[in-house]
Amino acid sequence: MKIKYFAWLKNITHTDCENIIDSSITDINSLKKFLCNKYPKLNSYIIKEDIIQIAVNLEYISNNCKLSSNDEIALFPPVSGG
Amino acid sequence: MIKIQKENFDLEKEIDAIKFKHANVGAVSTFIGYVRNINNSKKVISIDLEVYQDMAHKSLEKICKDANKKWSLIDSLVIHRYGQLEINEKIVLVATFSIHRDDSIASCNYIIDFLKKDAPFWKKEFYNENFTWL
Repeated sequence: MKIKYFAWLKNITHTDCENIIDSSITDINSLKKFLCNKYPKLNSYIIKEDIIQIAVNLEYISNNCKLSSNDEIALFPPVSGG
Repeated sequence: MIKIQKENFDLEKEIDAIKFKHANVGAVSTFIGYVRNINNSKKVISIDLEVYQDMAHKSLEKICKDANKKWSLIDSLVIHRYGQLEINEKIVLVATFSIHRDDSIASCNYIIDFLKKDAPFWKKEFYNENFTWL
């Protein structure tokens, strides 16, 4: 699956996009766990403070949902346009 | 119509291009957002706007569609810029076109409110010696 990162999250991941293939990732919760292991600094924003917003295939999601290998997932901080 | 672009835009040209398509338009309401020189008591030098293009397009289309369901709109236009912007530059335009003013004014407010809440844009603000993500 393709994972995109925006704004200051890129300072943590050092990339704006990556393809991740891992059989342990089946849904949003397992993806969060995977990413927090890969990028420990994400933990405080994704788990503790819960300030990261997640979109799957261009739609906001607020609850856990199943993921498939061709999904595009975006992680980003609260938006600040306008 | 949704436009996400780096370039500046000419307000009158953009409004006229849509207005001339609809002879029944009697009211156009606009909101324009600018880069200002002070924010949170800090002197701003410039901003850099990042966007998630595909999602922003989809999100803005949905907001305009929702506005069209709530009010009687003939047309709507949202232009949002991205990239490096200097003080006084335009960031965003929302324009709504209707027969009467009540619909255009209310829907324009609605669109900019939801744009600020939902559309995936992020501002990085530059000061004299550092910067911050808003």
